[in-house]
Amino acid sequence: LQGTLDMLVLKALQLEPMHGWGITERIEQWSESVLQLGQGTLYPALYRLERQGLIRSEWRVTANNRRARYYALTREGRRQFAEELAEWRRMSHAINLVLDASL
Amino acid sequence: MSVMKQTLRRFGSLLRRNTVERGLNEEIRFHIDQQTEKNIRAGMNPVEARRQAFVRFGGVEHMKELTRDEFRPAFFEDFVRDLRYGARLLLRAPGFALVAVITLGLGIGAATAVFSVVNRVLLSPLPYPDPDQIVRLFQIDSNGRRSGNVSEPNFEDWKNGVRAFRSMAEMSAGPEPVSFGTETEMINGADVSRDFFDVMGVRPATGRTFNADELRVGSAPAVIISDRLWRTRLGGAPITTLRLGVNNSVAQVVGVMPAGFDYPSGSDFWFPRELSPPQTSRTAHNWWVVARLADGVPLEGAVAELSTVSKALKRRYGDATWMSDATAIRLREHLTATARPTLLLLFAAALLLLLIACLNVSNLQLARASTRRRELAVRLAVGARRGRLARQLLAEAVVLTLAATLVGLAIAVGGVRTLVALQPANLPRIEHVDVDLIALLFAMVVALVTAVALGLTAALRASKPDVREALSEGTRSMAGGKGSERVRQALVLGQVALTIVLLAGAGLLARSFINVMAIDPGFETVHALVVDTQWTFSNDPLVRQRRKAVQEEVLRRLSAVPGVERVGLTSAHPLGTGWFSNGQFIEMTRADELQTPADLQKLGPEVKSRAGNAGFRIVSDGYFAAMGIRVVRGRVCEETDGPDAPHVAVISESLAETKWPNQEAIGRYIQFGNMDGDLRGFRVVGIVSDVREISPESVPGPLFYGCYKQRMASRFYVVVRTDGSTAVTGAVRQIIHDADPDLPLQIRTIEDAFDRALAGRRFSLTLIGAFSVVALILATLGIYGLISYLVAERTREIGIRLALGAESADVLRLVVGRGILLAVAGIAVGLVAALALTRLLEGMLFGVTTADPVVVGTVMLLTLVAVLIASYLPARRALRVAPIVAMRSESVLPAPPGIGRGYFLFLTLARCALGLVERAIGTPRIGLEPGRAGHRQHVTMRAVLRNAVFRRLAPAARMEPFGGRRWVIGAGVQCVSPEPTRRVLRPAPPT
Repeated sequence: LQGTLDMLVLKALQLEPMHGWGITERIEQWSESVLQLGQGTLYPALYRLERQGLIRSEWRVTANNRRARYYALTREGRRQFAEELAEWRRMSHAINLVLDASL
Repeated sequence: MSVMKQTLRRFGSLLRRNTVERGLNEEIRFHIDQQTEKNIRAGMNPVEARRQAFVRFGGVEHMKELTRDEFRPAFFEDFVRDLRYGARLLLRAPGFALVAVITLGLGIGAATAVFSVVNRVLLSPLPYPDPDQIVRLFQIDSNGRRSGNVSEPNFEDWKNGVRAFRSMAEMSAGPEPVSFGTETEMINGADVSRDFFDVMGVRPATGRTFNADELRVGSAPAVIISDRLWRTRLGGAPITTLRLGVNNSVAQVVGVMPAGFDYPSGSDFWFPRELSPPQTSRTAHNWWVVARLADGVPLEGAVAELSTVSKALKRRYGDATWMSDATAIRLREHLTATARPTLLLLFAAALLLLLIACLNVSNLQLARASTRRRELAVRLAVGARRGRLARQLLAEAVVLTLAATLVGLAIAVGGVRTLVALQPANLPRIEHVDVDLIALLFAMVVALVTAVALGLTAALRASKPDVREALSEGTRSMAGGKGSERVRQALVLGQVALTIVLLAGAGLLARSFINVMAIDPGFETVHALVVDTQWTFSNDPLVRQRRKAVQEEVLRRLSAVPGVERVGLTSAHPLGTGWFSNGQFIEMTRADELQTPADLQKLGPEVKSRAGNAGFRIVSDGYFAAMGIRVVRGRVCEETDGPDAPHVAVISESLAETKWPNQEAIGRYIQFGNMDGDLRGFRVVGIVSDVREISPESVPGPLFYGCYKQRMASRFYVVVRTDGSTAVTGAVRQIIHDADPDLPLQIRTIEDAFDRALAGRRFSLTLIGAFSVVALILATLGIYGLISYLVAERTREIGIRLALGAESADVLRLVVGRGILLAVAGIAVGLVAALALTRLLEGMLFGVTTADPVVVGTVMLLTLVAVLIASYLPARRALRVAPIVAMRSESVLPAPPGIGRGYFLFLTLARCALGLVERAIGTPRIGLEPGRAGHRQHVTMRAVLRNAVFRRLAPAARMEPFGGRRWVIGAGVQCVSPEPTRRVLRPAPPT
């Protein structure tokens, strides 16, 4: 689900700016290794989000003294994430209601 | 973020593509490194760790491609690349490119040029405020004939009686002498009544309109001039300093109309009508009437009210007015009425041409599409999506169309210039025509859609079948897609059909033109000069007497000029530009029956049976000879018919026949006083032949000629018949100038007038003719292309046939027969279409019906010949194929020399024609000869021809087929019957 990946990426960036590999690690960690991103699909998503103005990127030096591209949420990105989250909650709640309906 | 902004960002990335690309690479490297480190930490050896990192990441290049799609403007980039590729492809096939670009360019150019004219002349509004509110008023007589010439009392009554018009004005336009200080020139101008400028809704750009004072007789006269006259003739001087001699008075210029104000067409000055005496006769139809509709009144309402008022006038005045009804027509419609049929015809023809060009290019595209099947299949095989292929083909089409549009633009610019230069007199406003960019765009889109969509779909369809099959399909294929071949045949057939329509139209116009040229107009058109002198009407008897003296002096001196054969005077000459006055006469018992105008009223009701209608001309004794009008009976005016002798008249044959059928017309008395106010009757002394006055194709009307020494006319033209020497013009000018130095002159030849009368016809004929020739060339090219393609595709098959012993002529027949079949089908369809469509031409035809057998036959023959040539050329190439070469490869080599080409052409064509005849009516038998087995057998034309071929081809021995060999030629399908040909070798007959 494309929209889902975008949402996960936005969530991962909510706390602090991060590079691409960090994002995959973060998502994997949070999902208790259930969600293993096809790492190749991450970069198209990042470029897309940047084009849409939801995140911005800058080159920084990492702790091990290597150059890496860090992505950070923009204000619009935060707003978008909040909206998508609310929508997601509504939908999953609804789906759960259906699935849990007592027969 | 808006889509716009995102798109901008994409384009922005183009500028820093390398940076973005480097960044992406570094990011991926970093990602893999991190993953590798993580794997190492998890205990893998470095090599395995790196490998696993790549596995985890997935396809790097694929992912890069996906990422690039996110940041670059993929569609645009691809399109630009496709355009470049398309241009390269075109350059690689320069022959195709040239033909396609020129063909489409011709179509686009012609359509654009003609539409530019149509748009300017027919569609664009007149340059006046609310132009659709301006109407011309027409009176309708009891026979339902509409006339734009209205009498003044009727105009006054309309003006006072019809509420539907806000304002109404009358005017009278034409060339009048205008003097600028010492020089006098003929300038087009109009006498206009007070509300004229209100009706038009235009005020002078400089100065003002006439004030109340200037509209009163006896005040200082004023005149308003055109911007054109002001700038070119008067140098744009301040208008307060300008005075013009108009209407026998010196008038102050008080206003200059804005540039572009051009009504009545060509007018350069406007003079108050109120300064000349009012006209009280309801049958003096001397005025044009224009009006502006009142706000909110629809045209229909105004027409209804006008009609009511006019009918009331008729009831009140009876025979005193000829008007029995009236109507109004929008000025724009009236101005374009004569031009509309010609222009619409041209427009239709140009569209047909565009269509033919598009069909042609579609055909070329289709041919290329089938040769490109392999290329497209390869692209599909390596993973191109079908949509992407479509886009690429579209880009190629765009390149083609853009190039064609450039050519078309050049042709349109030239075309518009040519149209303006040809400038048929009946096209208003044509001098302002420019190439219409909307039209160019429209033609381009039509070309793009039709020419290209077909090629595109065909290419896509060709790419659809099994990719593997298309790839493996070698050069040895027997035939391409049958489907696309059928489409191509349909296209060629359509082209031939459309061409037939155009050719038929051109042919009909040409025959009409020839018919008009062949008409005897009733006068001699060559070697005659007409001098338009401005001996205008005057009521002053002294002026008239002096003028008569001048005229006689001029006639006398002119006849003495060497080179001048006859000289005459007339009040109106055939094909002239002036008034052709027309009126009602009454037959009387004696010449002096009426003494006063009141007597006219006293005539009883039985006068109607004695009345007649005729054109009224005043001529000198030499006129008939000078004009070449034949005297049928009696005599014409003579020297002795002076002012004091009894008045005599000459009438035309048709008047004599209609008014006095089977009776003697000579000797009758005619009262025609209502034309010139002179109540003395005429005695008819002679009958002359009919003259087609208005145009060569008009029906000659009844004419009545009075003698110039006895009656006065408002205007005189001098007709000079010369022996053809051109020096006469100067002498004529000098003599008239000597006699009356103030007289401005216009000298024309009757030949010119005749040419002008035919200009409209010549204009449409030239253009339609040009269009149809181009169409024929395009159709020929189309057939040539199709047949060449078929031949190229079947080279190997033809080689096999030749090797098996097929006669060369049979191969030719196979190929040419295909072309002929197409042509015959196209001609059949085209003729049906032509019969339906040329009906639209009926109004422009003369002496020929739309189903004219000569035209139809010529058109058919012309097309057939073109098709034969178009299919013979590729057929000849097929024949030169050496069988072994053809079977081994696809290349086409020329046959060994030695066979006469002309002879072959003749034989081939003859056999083709014969084949068609045989198909239609069975095998014609031309005689009996002893057969091989000793019995007599039928000799067919075919056998004769075949033997003729053999005698050329087979020097020592020959192979002759017998048995059940036959070609099956059906709709687009040809093949050899399954039964193989059996052959025997026989010794050659002794030569």
